[in-house]
Amino acid sequence: MNIDDSTIQIGFTDVNKFYGAYHALNSINLSIPKGQFVALVGPSGCGKSTLLRTLAGLEEISSGTINVGGRTVNDIPPRKRDLAMVFQSYALYPHMNVRENLTYALRLKGVSKEIRANKADEVAAIIGLEDLLDRKPRELSGGQRQRVAMGRAIVREPQAFLFDEPLSNLDASLRVRMRKEIRALHERIGSTSVYVTHDQVEAMTMADHVVVMRAGKIEQQGVPLDLYKNPANCFVAGFIGSPAMNFIPGVIDESGESVTLDFEESPSLPIAQSMQPGRPVVVGLRPEHVELGDAQSCGYAAISISSVEETGSTTYLFSSATPELVIVADGSQQVRSGDVIGVKIAPTNVHLFDPETEVSLSNG
Amino acid sequence: MKACAKWIRDGIGFDALLIAMALTYLLAFAGLPLLYNIIISFQVVDMFSLNQLFHEFAGWDNYIEVFHDPAAAEVLWNTTLFTIVSVFFQFTLGFALALFFNQKFPGATWFRGLFLAGWVMPGLVVGVLWNWLLSGDFGVINWTLETLGIIGEPIFWRSDVDYSLISVILANIWYGVPFNMILLSVGLAGIPEDLYEAAALDGATALQKFTTITLPMMRSTIGAVIALGIIFTLQQFDLFAAITSGGPAGSSLVAQYWSWELSFRQFEFGRGAVIAVLMIVVVLGVTVFYVRSTRQETRL
Ligand SMILES: Nc1ncnc2c1ncn2[C@@H]1O[C@H](COP(=O)(O)OP(=O)(O)O)[C@@H](O)[C@H]1O
Ligand SMILES: [Mg+2]
Repeated sequence: MNIDDSTIQIGFTDVNKFYGAYHALNSINLSIPKGQFVALVGPSGCGKSTLLRTLAGLEEISSGTINVGGRTVNDIPPRKRDLAMVFQSYALYPHMNVRENLTYALRLKGVSKEIRANKADEVAAIIGLEDLLDRKPRELSGGQRQRVAMGRAIVREPQAFLFDEPLSNLDASLRVRMRKEIRALHERIGSTSVYVTHDQVEAMTMADHVVVMRAGKIEQQGVPLDLYKNPANCFVAGFIGSPAMNFIPGVIDESGESVTLDFEESPSLPIAQSMQPGRPVVVGLRPEHVELGDAQSCGYAAISISSVEETGSTTYLFSSATPELVIVADGSQQVRSGDVIGVKIAPTNVHLFDPETEVSLSNG
Repeated sequence: MKACAKWIRDGIGFDALLIAMALTYLLAFAGLPLLYNIIISFQVVDMFSLNQLFHEFAGWDNYIEVFHDPAAAEVLWNTTLFTIVSVFFQFTLGFALALFFNQKFPGATWFRGLFLAGWVMPGLVVGVLWNWLLSGDFGVINWTLETLGIIGEPIFWRSDVDYSLISVILANIWYGVPFNMILLSVGLAGIPEDLYEAAALDGATALQKFTTITLPMMRSTIGAVIALGIIFTLQQFDLFAAITSGGPAGSSLVAQYWSWELSFRQFEFGRGAVIAVLMIVVVLGVTVFYVRSTRQETRL
């Protein structure tokens, strides 16, 4: 990333965190410019929450430095870091009504009652809670509690917003709506946001910058589409995109310009670069990049289909080959199980990885 | 018969049976004695009429006699002092210990468990232990105070009218602290950790977390603990029996001990019952407070 240092709002430099012997965060380096929406994404247990909590000051780091707004915060307690966090559990204060929950931070600062009331009204209007200000958290639905948790963060006007899987307790349709609302709020307030999620769709749709983590390490970071188009390794390639990318062993052909897949039909796919002939590789093919055609026509490889799942808008095809190849086709395709179809993949959509290191070989 | 069995097996019969058993027990072993105690407080009962079920009606005489007894004022004062001081220190020390053991340090749970050892001891045993500690000639407490230079000559705790009540209060505080600590620990454990984390990010200091999160979240627990503390303290009899027997010269005489003394030492059963009735009224008041504080739950 090429960003002027003065615009960096949050910076992690060589941050390590151990729980006993367990290496929970492994040499984390991350710079977040002011106003950016960053998503930390990865499978459960990879250390996303731990990273967020070290930023908030709720966990101490073992080594490295964390900067917030140009200040090293390693030894600064959470209450002085000026960060607001939305917890997965919402962590609303059960004995306070919504108004008191929203303005708790202001009350601690000694802000007068009238100003607090005004501020609560103002924020309630932003998040649509005007009618619920006198309710206790237990009298709210999950979605409403989520809004209160957001409102409580907004009131603070902090240096940055931290979200730890804030939508994971909501039902699917509400989740999609809140996704948009959180993003809209972010733009409206112009704040810096760090958003933890295990859901790659959430990360891809909401964030300016996505950080993919695995086992305490950052595997890759970048703008969402770049991660999709140029995954740095098999893990990122498989994690980003749904359904997941197909991985098939293969060998580079004599010409060095195509790769033969390790299938019964031994189909050969042209690749976008020139490689050493005979080199074993792992070929990554996204299900949605497989184009269908007539098995006999030129440029198409033949593949037999063992099962078909139709959802109406899209049709999922599963090959009978091992490893199984998943293909996403549009719903108008008339394919039945047992059919042999022709498939073609644009050379730029053929991803190549090293079988040992799993690192991408494509020079994308 | 078959229908009845079915009613018990499948219908509400089983619930009804359980309730009936509990109610019968309560009526037989709590309700009737209570009622009989109230009746006796309005009757003339002495050694000679004790074996009769019905006694001569005495009107308010027993009550009037109790209130005019020269000991009444001191007993009232001693009982109030004993209860308030005991409950105050049981609660504050118990709360402090509960907060201490709520910190996550190695062995916290184990060490907290040790405290319960004091609580499971019978009151008489605790009393005997404290007799040794408080002993004027060879007691550890005097030795400590003398070594530290706080007192010049030994205090005869149990036989000095200025110290006798304090002796029992000390023992009672020690006896009640573990119970307070455990109940308050349970309350503390019920407060989700993330509330404190949210408060920390919202800018709360440790003290502010305590006053704005811990205390309000503990309201019902605190109410219950204090109410139970008062009730248990008003019930405390063993320690008096073991340490001072209410003496010397009534200086540590409290209502519960006086009631026993009137009934079973002086065989003034009517007057003994009067004190029991008055104490029941106080306990009832405390119970109402207890029930109300457990009812208003602040948890999510
Ligand atoms: N307090 C702790 N003590 C020991 N291990 C922990 C602690 N908190 C988290 N971990 C471990 O650290 C890893 C990362 O946890 P976390 O950051 O919560 O993962 P996630 O990415 O799902 O949010 C997990 O394997 C978890 O078991
Ligand atoms: Mg997590």
